[in-house]
Amino acid sequence: MIEILASQVVSGLATGCVYALVALGFVLIYKATDVVNFAQGEFVMASGFISYTLLIRYGLPYWLVFCLTILLSGVMGVVLERVVVRPIMSAPIFSIVIATIGASTVMRSAAGIIYGYDVLPLPTIFSKEPIQLGILNFTPMDVGVIGCSIVIMLALYLFFKWTKTGMAMRATAQSQTAAQLMGVSVKQIFSLTWAISAGIGGIAGVLIAPIIYLDPNLGTIGVKAFAGAILGGFGSIPGAIIGGMLLGVLENLSGYFFNAGIKQVSTYILLILVLIIRPSGLFGAVAMKKV
Amino acid sequence: MKWVRHGWAVLAAVIVLILVSSPRAVRAAEIGVTDKEIVVGAGVDLTGAVANWGVNIKAGMEAVFNRVNDAGGVYGRQIRLITYDHVYQPPKAVANAKRLVERDKVFIMMGHLGTPTTKAIMGYLEEHKVPNVFPATLASLWATSGKWHVGDVATYADQTWLIIDYLVKERKLTRIASFYQDDEYGLDGHLAGKARLQHYGLEYIAQVDYKRADIDFSSQAAKLKESGAEAVILQAVYREPPRLAEQCHAMGYNPLFIGPSPIVLDKTIELGGKHVEDVIGVEVWPPPTDPGPFLDQYRADMQKYAPHLPLDMTNLYGYQKAALFVEALQRAGRDLTRESLLQAITTIKDWDPGWGLKYSYGGDDRRVMSRAARLVMVKEGKWVRMSDWMELEEGGRR
Repeated sequence: MIEILASQVVSGLATGCVYALVALGFVLIYKATDVVNFAQGEFVMASGFISYTLLIRYGLPYWLVFCLTILLSGVMGVVLERVVVRPIMSAPIFSIVIATIGASTVMRSAAGIIYGYDVLPLPTIFSKEPIQLGILNFTPMDVGVIGCSIVIMLALYLFFKWTKTGMAMRATAQSQTAAQLMGVSVKQIFSLTWAISAGIGGIAGVLIAPIIYLDPNLGTIGVKAFAGAILGGFGSIPGAIIGGMLLGVLENLSGYFFNAGIKQVSTYILLILVLIIRPSGLFGAVAMKKV
Repeated sequence: MKWVRHGWAVLAAVIVLILVSSPRAVRAAEIGVTDKEIVVGAGVDLTGAVANWGVNIKAGMEAVFNRVNDAGGVYGRQIRLITYDHVYQPPKAVANAKRLVERDKVFIMMGHLGTPTTKAIMGYLEEHKVPNVFPATLASLWATSGKWHVGDVATYADQTWLIIDYLVKERKLTRIASFYQDDEYGLDGHLAGKARLQHYGLEYIAQVDYKRADIDFSSQAAKLKESGAEAVILQAVYREPPRLAEQCHAMGYNPLFIGPSPIVLDKTIELGGKHVEDVIGVEVWPPPTDPGPFLDQYRADMQKYAPHLPLDMTNLYGYQKAALFVEALQRAGRDLTRESLLQAITTIKDWDPGWGLKYSYGGDDRRVMSRAARLVMVKEGKWVRMSDWMELEEGGRR
């Protein structure tokens, strides 16, 4: 019993880490630009297809593909910001959010047209052979996903905390006007934010696609991640990470103790409960909006 | 301006004359049938969770229709297939069916994909008296729901009875679990299996469900492992078995996996790799690589009309449906109506298109055309035959 529960938690954490990465992408863009980017899940899908193409069609080595995918995904983020978001930046936020939903549909259809709607296996360097360690039963795949996610999160933390650009990004998130007065190029920061968010989405894609297979509907993982971000308190970076991980574990445990139906809605039940008790989410600051 | 009004009157008279004298108007015998054309409708999944099936079934049916049309059609009528994408979602299937029946005025629904999606439109089709011919779902529902529905090959219920018989009688197993999709599709085989186990004085040792389009099965794997099941019956499609097997193996749990025909695809092996080695399945029509003139024709037609698709069980499934339908059209004769088509289908007996598998109408309480099946197993990355064709017993939920 305890053995099975432990393995449920480990595999839940692995899925949760991927949710956390996508949630992080949501929160970064939201903090910097006030926009909720509903195409965030599509970065995951698109990067899955990018790495599939590089690995299978061009036969490049895995780590090169890993880095190239993140890079290309980042470029995609910048393009999306420049083409879709920036021209309407002065429009109401609502319009921009709708534009991102449109972009998400376009990306999904484009993937369908290019690759078809078939499900494809994506190779990975992490083995799926089971390892037994005391009561823990896990695969190198789980460890790889959790490890990669933690490394990325740490790197981001250090970037925001210690680099000048990171500080400029935080400054922009706090007050665009003040940041601009201090000589920060807000436009560049916006582009950079989108690049980083999309890049993180790209990492999530490379990590999750080999686990749950690759198809144009992979981006729907963004919906779960979005719930994770809200759970953690939308706008809080540690909140997004913990919210995402919590969700992964909760899904696994509710599926284990109940059935598939409960597993499917457990995310949203928890979300509603948390929002009733703490409307700003687990880690969210009480929101104040200028009017 | 009097001449203008006069002109309009003449024009109207001419149009009326043309309409009245055209053969189409004279012989408005049946909806969706003219002297030149038979319009057939289908709702399939082209972009959703079972898109692989949808795209291929459509291509397989079109390959037959294109060949027949190129050769002059059936009694001079071209067959035109209209398909809409329902994304494997019942509400969309209903909207599409209404579009096909009321706007496109189809003669019949043919090869409609998916059990939950086809069940959603079942009542609507009956109400409008539109035959549901050879739907791309093997639920036992179509075999037993009266004159407007007719299935093609052995149902999930029949196949599950075969699976249970095999596990209990040949493998002497008693600890049998069911992993099923929580909808009409998964439940058909799941409940039939339950009934068959009762026949042997047994019951499922674990019953584990999942939802359409679920992608993670670690909790299901945990429950199955805990139950200690020796065999797990997969009432699933092609995407779930590889992932479930992988997650069971990750827990150090290696039961015998066995499932009905929807899992017997090359895709299952492509996705699962060595995790699906030794998985057993039920085959209810021969694979594309078998010999025989019918399959030679299939390979030539696919090469000609759908060269972008590899030869696969899925498009062959659509292909054999369309071939069976064309045979029924020929038997129905020149005066084609929905009634005459349904009547013609009942006259099919021991009809072999040329691949060793014979089609016979099963009777009014068992409206399917074949009950042949054989067991296959994944060996070194290929589906390998375990038995010859068997004539299945009628499986049911009782």
